[in-house]
Amino acid sequence: MSTSAPSAPSSRRGDVPPGSKRNPLREGLRHERMPEPCTMVICGATGDLTERKLGPALYNLTLGGFLPPEFTVVGFARRDLSDDDFREHLHGGIDRYSRNRPAKPSIWESFGNAIEYHRGEFNDPDAWTELGKRLDRIDRDRGTSGNRLFYLAVPPSLYPEIVRQLGNAGLARDDEGRSGGRRGWTRVIVEKPFGSDLETARRLNRELGGVFEEEQIYRIDHYLGKETVQNLAVFRFGNGLFEPIWNRRYIDSVQITVAETVGVEGRGEFYDQTGAMRDIVQNHGLQLLSMFAMEPPVEFRATDLRDEKLKVLRGVKPMSPEEVVDQTVRGQYVSGWVEGQKVASYRDEPEVAPDSEMETYAALRLGIDSWRWAGVPFYIRTGKALPTRVTEIAVQFKRAPLALFARAGTPAIDPNTLAIRVQPDEGILLRFGAKVPGQGLQIRNVNMDFRYGSSFAVDSPDAYETLLLDCMIGDASLFTRGDEVERAWEILDPIIEAWRTGTGGALHFYGAGSWGPPAADALLERDDRSWRRP
Amino acid sequence: MNEDGAATVDADRELAIHRRLMRFGEAESTVAPAWVARDTSVRSVERHLNGLWAMSDESRDDLVTEKGLPHARASVLNLIATVPDLDGAGRVVRTMLELGVRHPSRALVLVAEPSAPAAGIDASVSAHCHPAAVGSDQICYEEVVLTVRGEPAEHLSGVVAPLLIHDLPTLVWWPGDPPFSDPTFDQMVDLCDRLIIDSGDFSDLALGLRRLASLRRRSGIGDLSWRRLGWWLELSAQFFDAPRFRRYLPNLNRLAIRYAVPSAGAAAQSGRALLAQPLLYAGWIASRLAWKRHAAVQGLHDGAFRLRMEGRYEMVDLMIEPVPTDALAAGELISVRLKSLGETGAAEFIIDRDGDEATVASNADGMTALLRRVHMEQPTEAELLAGSLVAERHDDVYETSLRAAAIILASAVEAEVA
Repeated sequence: MSTSAPSAPSSRRGDVPPGSKRNPLREGLRHERMPEPCTMVICGATGDLTERKLGPALYNLTLGGFLPPEFTVVGFARRDLSDDDFREHLHGGIDRYSRNRPAKPSIWESFGNAIEYHRGEFNDPDAWTELGKRLDRIDRDRGTSGNRLFYLAVPPSLYPEIVRQLGNAGLARDDEGRSGGRRGWTRVIVEKPFGSDLETARRLNRELGGVFEEEQIYRIDHYLGKETVQNLAVFRFGNGLFEPIWNRRYIDSVQITVAETVGVEGRGEFYDQTGAMRDIVQNHGLQLLSMFAMEPPVEFRATDLRDEKLKVLRGVKPMSPEEVVDQTVRGQYVSGWVEGQKVASYRDEPEVAPDSEMETYAALRLGIDSWRWAGVPFYIRTGKALPTRVTEIAVQFKRAPLALFARAGTPAIDPNTLAIRVQPDEGILLRFGAKVPGQGLQIRNVNMDFRYGSSFAVDSPDAYETLLLDCMIGDASLFTRGDEVERAWEILDPIIEAWRTGTGGALHFYGAGSWGPPAADALLERDDRSWRRP
Repeated sequence: MNEDGAATVDADRELAIHRRLMRFGEAESTVAPAWVARDTSVRSVERHLNGLWAMSDESRDDLVTEKGLPHARASVLNLIATVPDLDGAGRVVRTMLELGVRHPSRALVLVAEPSAPAAGIDASVSAHCHPAAVGSDQICYEEVVLTVRGEPAEHLSGVVAPLLIHDLPTLVWWPGDPPFSDPTFDQMVDLCDRLIIDSGDFSDLALGLRRLASLRRRSGIGDLSWRRLGWWLELSAQFFDAPRFRRYLPNLNRLAIRYAVPSAGAAAQSGRALLAQPLLYAGWIASRLAWKRHAAVQGLHDGAFRLRMEGRYEMVDLMIEPVPTDALAAGELISVRLKSLGETGAAEFIIDRDGDEATVASNADGMTALLRRVHMEQPTEAELLAGSLVAERHDDVYETSLRAAAIILASAVEAEVA
């Protein structure tokens, strides 16, 4: 600092050239990443997603000091609401659903001042023209610098219309990094489902791509915003211990479980057109698989990560109808008991066809044709009305090559297992054999158990908070790219089609509260393996 | 060691305090019966610590679940706190209990009494258990309070080293005024990965800042006064995240910082220790923007001073002044005002604190002033400590800010003397 200073701060740290892109005050602070000022337009702002997830996520980001002071929200929907009505709608959602609730009055007051409501029909060009004028005014008044984020919190059937209108109104342009013209970026977030098969996914990608560049499109899969999923990359690539054994030489098989205790919860109509494969496996299941199995990226940035994830999916070969019969199981729950509550059969749910063939359970055996994973089966199962709510990836390692401690009459030592729990009780568990103290040689399985809750005991952000902030910052690492979506459908379409036409094996029934149909157990027993009981 | 020795009045008092300390946590957590011993040995303490978790120890019913399995024992670090006396240990034990819920540690509280006539060690060992989450299993961790008397108190690191859990980071928290010139202090700093102090507690701030700035150890420094500034640094940086405001940074020409001093007898109590936070803030801005010391306009008097500093393009007025108030803890910042000259006129960036909230305003570019209320809840000591525990070993930004703060204070003091 001074010529007589013990050590003057170097000019590298402190010097601020005019027009510098770096904020020298930001270095080393708690929030190393801060989005540029921007406006977030929520299309479908009066819906459930906004009330339950988006409003609370934005409030929590504000409370934590993660958003710039200029940040502004514009809710866009058909309902005839005033700005105050809409603010009240968001306020109510925060008070009911936010992890920090109720909203602190003074913080809400400031946050509320940055919220506006824009009424209009999505198919009315004038509504979009007016929205454009409103956004220009916000840029001027609040200094949001032309940066805009459009969140499509609407049913997918409305995506094409909204995207077309955004294009026509000139609101989709992205001038980031370009000289001259309007400064600022434009990004769009779309929610799953990304199509219902390959054809519809391609159509959606074409429609989005007709207006936006791929770099502007953020396809949200909230599973990728969970801490454990992000930690999967840290666990593999931040530690020297695990990556050397992360391959076919040491890993026997991998089980991915996404189990829900709930039934269709009043979404019978939606679910009866969707099923477990489209609802869970196409997105969460295959995303977990590709995060688990990908090669180390060259750099930890969106393009490299997503290239590596795509390579995994390209290694998963689509099945023939015969393979579908052999490698998959579909099930549907019948009445039973879950968590002490009687659950009606799926076919007795409101808005479900009484003769529905839709799967509420799916189990499949996939292989990845790659140097690393050839011959290692990846078993994926998901289902509704299962005994416990759990999402995990369990790695079963190969047995020790020599049964050195085997004795007549004593059971063989179980293979080591590494379980990565995504929810609930996020953490990592390693199971291995240890000698029981005392004379003789008895071996028992013990667990080394890392739990986020006990090691960090911090309140993890909701996945939507992480993902919204990432999008505002322009980090697409935790979002799905169009080609990943299409490849996932290429893998699953043959299975769904074989199931639909009846060539892919029978629909099996399972009692609510059980771990799925016996046929799913048989799928693994044929390989001399069994499902974990998480 | 004197296992059967007759208890003196003082020793009885100390044991009573030990027992009382062990009872602090009973309201919030399950506490295993504390083991309290006078004139014991480090080896005995070690044995009792290990015995706490032995499944065969039926006397430890409170450490097992209904299924007979031990509760999860969790330790993510060794945390050593050194305090001058047992009375002072009370505050530390309370903070550590609060901290234990978030950062289960092996906690060691050391009371060093090197001038005691007879050498000896008194110890109390207890376990605390909290549910990790509502309805979940308990997480348990241990706490040891040691009173080390006589010559062993001059070799504290040797007393404490056998009681550390291997392969976990070791942090030394030294509340109050660390004995910078004492060899014991150096020993403890050598032992740890991170030293945690509170520069707001230093009786001689100028000396303290200078000594901290010149510590050349493998251990890093965590300063609770620096952590108290968290929101101030964050909100100040936020002004200049917006690219259009960033150009004002090199042209800052005035930084005014106001801080709280007690309203009763303000002049008398506005000692230099209360300057820790304003100085660290000023040091942060000055080091980030490479300001250089130029001249003192007004030397340190009644907690206020004014310096001229040399910015990149402008001379900068740095003003620090106390404001008598009881609404905020003494030493806390009340307001920060940054002024700048830009191409399109003057700009001002203001943070005004009001209890647990603050008003943040910017007036620049001829735009409507952006004004908002933000959350600025002051963390508890345990929360500040928790923040220091998870920080990286070396915080370069703090260390450069600390050096700059030491220089700013030295300039103000020189001018005062002159």
